[in-house]
Amino acid sequence: MGAAVKDSSSKKTSGKSRRSDVGGDTDAMGCLTRDPSKVTSPIGTLEDKFELLPAFLKVRGLVRQHIDSFNYLVNEEIKKIVRAKANERVTCDSDPNFYLKYTNIHVGRPSVEEDYVVEEITPQQCRLRDMTYAAPITVDVEYTRGKEIVTRQQKNGVGGIVIGRIPLMLRSSRCVLTGKNEEELARLGECPLDPGGYFIVKGVEKVILIQEQLSKNRIIIDVDNKGEIGASVTSSTHERKSKTNIVVKHGKLYLRHNTFADDISIMIVLKAMGMESDQEAVHMIGSDPTYAMLLAPTLQECHASGIFTMQQALEYCASKVRVVKMQSPRTQIGGARTYGRSRIDEARDILAGVVLAHVPVVAYDFRQKCAYISIMVRRILNALLDPTQVDDKDYYGNKRLELAGQLIALLFEDCFKRLNADLKRQADAVLSKANRATQFDILKCIRQDTLSNGLEHAISSGNWTVKRFRMERKGVTQVLSRLSFISALGMMTRITSQFEKTRKVSGPRALQPSQWGMLCPSDTPEGESCGLVKNLALMTHVTTDDEEEPLRRLAHALGVEPLTWLNAGEMHSPQGAHVLMNGSLLGVHAQPEAFAHAFRKLRRAGRVGEFVSVYAADGCVYISSDGGRVCRPLIIIERGEPLLTQEHLEELKDGHRTFTDFLREGLVEYLDVNEENDSYIALYEDEMNEETTHLEIEPFTLLGVCAGIIPYPHHNQSPRNTYQCAMGKQAMGNIAFNQLNRMDTLMYLLVYPQKPIVKTKTIELIGYDRLGAGQNATIAVMSYSGYDIEDAIVMNRASLDRGFGRCTVLRKYSTQVKKYSNRTMDRIIGPKEDQRANENGRYHLLDGDGIAAVGGRIKPGDIYVNKQSPINTRDPMANPHGMPDTMYRSNPLSYKGPPGETAIVDKVLLTMTDEGQFNIKTLVRQTRRPEVGDKFSSRHGQKGVCGVILDQEDFPFSERGITPDLIMNPHGFPSRMTVGKMIELLGGKAGLENGRFHDGTAFAGDSVEAIQQTLVEAGFSHKGKDMLHCGITGEALEVNVFMGPVYYQKLKHMVQDKMHARARGPRVVLTRQPTEGRARDGGLRLGEMERDCLIGYGASQLILERLMISSDQFEAQVCTKCGLLGFQHHITGKNACTLCKTEAEVATLKLPYAAKLLFQELQSCNIAPRINLAEA
Amino acid sequence: MYHEQKAGSGAGVAYNCGDCGSEVLLRPGDVIICRECGYRILYKKRTKQVVQFEAR
Repeated sequence: MGAAVKDSSSKKTSGKSRRSDVGGDTDAMGCLTRDPSKVTSPIGTLEDKFELLPAFLKVRGLVRQHIDSFNYLVNEEIKKIVRAKANERVTCDSDPNFYLKYTNIHVGRPSVEEDYVVEEITPQQCRLRDMTYAAPITVDVEYTRGKEIVTRQQKNGVGGIVIGRIPLMLRSSRCVLTGKNEEELARLGECPLDPGGYFIVKGVEKVILIQEQLSKNRIIIDVDNKGEIGASVTSSTHERKSKTNIVVKHGKLYLRHNTFADDISIMIVLKAMGMESDQEAVHMIGSDPTYAMLLAPTLQECHASGIFTMQQALEYCASKVRVVKMQSPRTQIGGARTYGRSRIDEARDILAGVVLAHVPVVAYDFRQKCAYISIMVRRILNALLDPTQVDDKDYYGNKRLELAGQLIALLFEDCFKRLNADLKRQADAVLSKANRATQFDILKCIRQDTLSNGLEHAISSGNWTVKRFRMERKGVTQVLSRLSFISALGMMTRITSQFEKTRKVSGPRALQPSQWGMLCPSDTPEGESCGLVKNLALMTHVTTDDEEEPLRRLAHALGVEPLTWLNAGEMHSPQGAHVLMNGSLLGVHAQPEAFAHAFRKLRRAGRVGEFVSVYAADGCVYISSDGGRVCRPLIIIERGEPLLTQEHLEELKDGHRTFTDFLREGLVEYLDVNEENDSYIALYEDEMNEETTHLEIEPFTLLGVCAGIIPYPHHNQSPRNTYQCAMGKQAMGNIAFNQLNRMDTLMYLLVYPQKPIVKTKTIELIGYDRLGAGQNATIAVMSYSGYDIEDAIVMNRASLDRGFGRCTVLRKYSTQVKKYSNRTMDRIIGPKEDQRANENGRYHLLDGDGIAAVGGRIKPGDIYVNKQSPINTRDPMANPHGMPDTMYRSNPLSYKGPPGETAIVDKVLLTMTDEGQFNIKTLVRQTRRPEVGDKFSSRHGQKGVCGVILDQEDFPFSERGITPDLIMNPHGFPSRMTVGKMIELLGGKAGLENGRFHDGTAFAGDSVEAIQQTLVEAGFSHKGKDMLHCGITGEALEVNVFMGPVYYQKLKHMVQDKMHARARGPRVVLTRQPTEGRARDGGLRLGEMERDCLIGYGASQLILERLMISSDQFEAQVCTKCGLLGFQHHITGKNACTLCKTEAEVATLKLPYAAKLLFQELQSCNIAPRINLAEA
Repeated sequence: MYHEQKAGSGAGVAYNCGDCGSEVLLRPGDVIICRECGYRILYKKRTKQVVQFEAR
């Protein structure tokens, strides 16, 4: 906040005078009474405006978007789904009196039923026991049982009918963690810094990634690949999803839709919808002669085809309806189709319900839809006249983000429909029989698996299949990466795009100006998904749906004239504007600007949802209340002054107010991308003027969580920040406060993690200072020893002895003790006395229970769980629990690791899953110190491997006796231009002297001058350079060396996990060639390019040796007569050919086994490969 | 579930409850549950053998 402090006294007085008239309705009075000179008075700055951020994040959390979306599902959407017409009742064909009606639905608390007892569960329990963190869904029902009508209702959480379990999002409204303080969270075994927002399914943490899509129900004017302009709308309602296009072809307008085999002239469509008069149609599109001119060809064509009436037009449309392939015969006979429905009715139904499905058609009143089509046409004509009117698909206002709640809602509805169909089928089957032994009770037929398994499978596999919408998506969920705290957090803000990756166009990958403040400009992966995978910025929120009906009424109350009041010509008055709500036409307003203003006032007063956006653009006012829009908070400015004053901030600091209060009082508001475009936002206070409408809270919030870690990112070359965003996710450190109670498959932890000396505000906000992933290393930027070329780092052995870069690697090995269908089961037995006695044997670690002793040292090959499985797992056994030892096959688990390296058994956990599966999890720990080849990186995309480890006595030392922890080669700087790293070094050095954590926040932070001042005061050079003496010769170095602390991360790539060599080893059975990969002790391949080199050089013998002798040499017998492979008799040792029945003319030769295999495979395909031998 | 081949320590092996920390003796075939609090996660106790570490 260095530059921000200016003239705070005058500001305070102005603030006081304004305090009385703050908020809502009194504002108008304030405008009259206030001193007009205030407008021109010097603008005060808001000190600690930054304080808004922690307040904001406190109410919001870092992953509010996920949690809000899920809460909306659980609290509201799920009720809407159940109450929808299509889902509410289950009826049956065979008994007209039968029905089952859902009157309500509830989602309960997370619990599990074990041994017929319902128990509450915690997330940590689910992780350890491989269970799903889920809550039961209960419904209230009303149904017929025999002749009586039965109602079942939930009261005080009991009595509802359970229909299944829904996996719960952590920290959502139903989660046990919500509203708990740190201590309570600790008692539940949960980390207070964990953001939540993910699911736990079968013990695995799963994130549903945010999906980016083009807006639904909005008109997008686009140019197709033939250069023709068209308007397209993807309509999406609960029942249907369809895409409607209006295209220009040879200067004429056509409707293009999947249900029609051919394009249909737009005039014919309008006529079919009942608008028979050409004049009315033209009026509705626009009375201006230019529009009429452009429409003329379309009108003429319609005229030429002789279609004048609605009947004719419908007949024409009917002839173009695409014949649907035979559906199931039931619907053909039983459905309404056959009862006197003509093809014309069918065409009318398609126009009413499928084309532009989101525009409602009540009782075949097509007026709304006609108006909508005319607006589409008008926009096309506008785009024809003025090409700048074509929409930009990459503009972020045209995008919607699909979150967990919406995705699960789709799935839930699908499963619910399946459940209902299932119930109906059972009711049909039972009730069609005349007399039944027992009374039919539909509740007994409800199977909970349909819902529970459907949801669980989708989340655990990531395959989203909803047949109704022909939706088939893969990879929707991912396992939450727990490599570091940042990687987990970074995953929660990730956005994946639905675009296919192969497309060469750069548009969707490029950074769009409208993404400012919404998406992080730095955090994107490199390579194929660059720019397609994005991350949210720090303050971004994603909206959820808001009720439309009250907004519609409000709009009309504010003077929007509904379409029914207007004739076609009145739709387009020069000053008036169309009012569109969520893409559908509401009506016309005479004063759009005033309307938008009034609407915003009401929003600021809290009468309208805070996420409803209003904006006026080119003759339309758009009101959006739909979910999935990205938005962010901004300070409201009126008459050149922020409504938020210093007093407000002080009250915030003292805890008298929260961010929500500011929102409610209309001091701060959320803007989405579209409304942002309609506003005038000042970045800093001194940029405010009369027209300014909003003030940015803090500029650094335009970065996301990963980029927020970087100090002074605005001094770095931009790709370096992107690299650091990728590397921060690989850095080792603390994962969570509960890290030692976790049982993750693989966990990398730093032994002595530190807080960075140069912090950023983001670091404090997300808790990186409490869960750091690195250490403050003193680095010297100089060349030393020659083992530092190509970014290699020279490390100080004494630093390593003191614990620099030391890490623990924890790996989990789990086993199930299985039960088999014949009631036999696996068993775990203690070692025999003699087995255990052998200190170097494989059994030495086992205790009496057959499981490794906790704390014991484990070597590769050691057995840690001595499991035995029954040999026969199928046939019924006489005494399945007391079978003799001979009936078991030994099936022990042995530890595999690099030879020579030992590890420690850290923990052994025994548990049962909710399905009664017995699990043993063994955690093995290894502590590693850095070695040559381990990878390190600073926070500026400057990675390097350890090149050499030198003794401290060989290290250069300063006059103060300081030796660096590591030495970095100066060649890393010029081409990379990471000036931020240099400033971090200076800031860190100054921080050591004055005992302060320095601030390196983006676009702010401590200035270099201030840092240098501190350095000089402490007796250092202002340049941060020190005079060093050579550690080997003791001579003073010729130049002064830039030295100081920089925060270094140890990355997960370590030599020990990668090094690999092989002389001889395992081979693949089929080809007899060496195996592939380190895990299988594979060979090192001499690939085709290496082979090309050897061919080019002419080293034929080397090729022969590499490709055959050292690989899969084989001695084969070839018949010189027929050229096919023969064999060698295994007793007599004589060669023979089966085909020629000869022994004399068979020769022996060496060839690769793969070649022999090929010949035999060809023979099996009826191709005879014959070998002609030149000499034999 | 665990079968001792010889009836050496037939009394079972002691584990700690993951919730209340009380000691639970389990014999082969027992259900994994704490007898005090009903918690179903048990941890194996640390070995009584001396383990020597090399400081480096």
